[in-house]
Amino acid sequence: MKMEDMSLSGLDNTKLEALAHDVYSDLVEDACLGLCFEVHRAVKQGYFFLDDTDQESMKDFEIVDQPGVDIFGQVYNQWKNKECVCPNCSRSIAASRFAPHLEKCLGMGRNSSRIANRRIASSNNTSKSESDQEDNDDINDNDWSYGSEKKAKKRKSEKNPNSPRRSKSLKHKNGELSSSVNPDLYKYNYSSGISYETLGPEELRSILTTQCGVVSEHTKKMCTRSTLPNSDTMLENDSYDAPDGQLIMSRLQWDGSSDISPSDSASSKASTNNSESKRPKKKKKPSTLSLTSGGGGGERDKGQERERGDRERVAGGGSGSGSSSSQNALGLSNRKKRPKLPVPPAPSIYDDLN
Amino acid sequence: MSKESQMRAAINQKLIEMGERERLKELLRAKLIECGWRDQLKALCKEVIKEKGIENVTVEDLVAGVTPKGRALVPDSVKKELLQRIRAFLAQHST
Repeated sequence: MKMEDMSLSGLDNTKLEALAHDVYSDLVEDACLGLCFEVHRAVKQGYFFLDDTDQESMKDFEIVDQPGVDIFGQVYNQWKNKECVCPNCSRSIAASRFAPHLEKCLGMGRNSSRIANRRIASSNNTSKSESDQEDNDDINDNDWSYGSEKKAKKRKSEKNPNSPRRSKSLKHKNGELSSSVNPDLYKYNYSSGISYETLGPEELRSILTTQCGVVSEHTKKMCTRSTLPNSDTMLENDSYDAPDGQLIMSRLQWDGSSDISPSDSASSKASTNNSESKRPKKKKKPSTLSLTSGGGGGERDKGQERERGDRERVAGGGSGSGSSSSQNALGLSNRKKRPKLPVPPAPSIYDDLN
Repeated sequence: MSKESQMRAAINQKLIEMGERERLKELLRAKLIECGWRDQLKALCKEVIKEKGIENVTVEDLVAGVTPKGRALVPDSVKKELLQRIRAFLAQHST
């Protein structure tokens, strides 16, 4: 057959339409037959009725349409008010709060470690300092753990944004701003494994005669530089008082070097000294070398610089502090920092004791 | 009318040769499933089976009981679309 025979002119439209319908009918019948064959096979193979459920089961899963209940018949907030028992602390916790409580309880949540650290830090600052103050006056006087309450209060008061000290103290990181760090400095073990608080005065003295002993705020390590005699800083060596004994002597050493914190004037218990009051102001003046009691502050300023390795000034400060030893003894607790001990005066002081 | 029958035969042959018939078949099948026609017919088959009994039902029973209803149940939209395509094919290939 040729296509030319099948021209449209040969067939009118109705026939063409009829032809189209015939084609369509054939297609539909094919679909029906295909379905019947499938069903028949399924029936004969036995899997045709498998997806049907019996009437009884159908009733179990009937859709529920009651208020307060979902389509399965379950109550929505059934477990909201129930209480669960925590397996860790054996407390009864509300269901909605159970997961967060577990997080904190087990210490596994995202914030639980952070909170715990914060708590430890704050409790260290407050509790330890208080106990130190009460217990070992000897040791504590020497130490620079200003973890006293005054200190704690001071920290906040000192952190006055308008205070001119603020920017200054930043440089030297004096007690005020880094007050939270200061107690730690004195409480933690240093690289040398020594804690100034735990050591007795004798031990401290022995250590400090051979080593510098200044604790760096940055690394919290005790400076182990060996002490060397320095004649230049031998000023007013005779002025310091030796009546209180060796303890005071060793304290004295630290006094002069630790007179850095400006808060000393405010926090010192015996603070009626001009020197102490002046200390904060003179803190950052490296040039002041006056050894008067008033200059004690200046010396203390240098104490800070001692950390930078200026031995001369340190020595001067140490000797100067000797003059106000009695004053300083009480104000020792106010020290927040422990600058490097004055190297030159050390041997001189101990010489006197011996 | 041999010409006509010849014509038909020729058209059908052409449909098959060109694969158009298969395509039309697939299209129809998809559309019928989509519109739910298939499930309807299955339900009808179930009735026939329950009537005749599972063991004794034959293909002919099913075919005879289901096909007429099946043809009637095809939605109009599906029918129209299919006819349109067939006509287009005829127009394209009958000249």
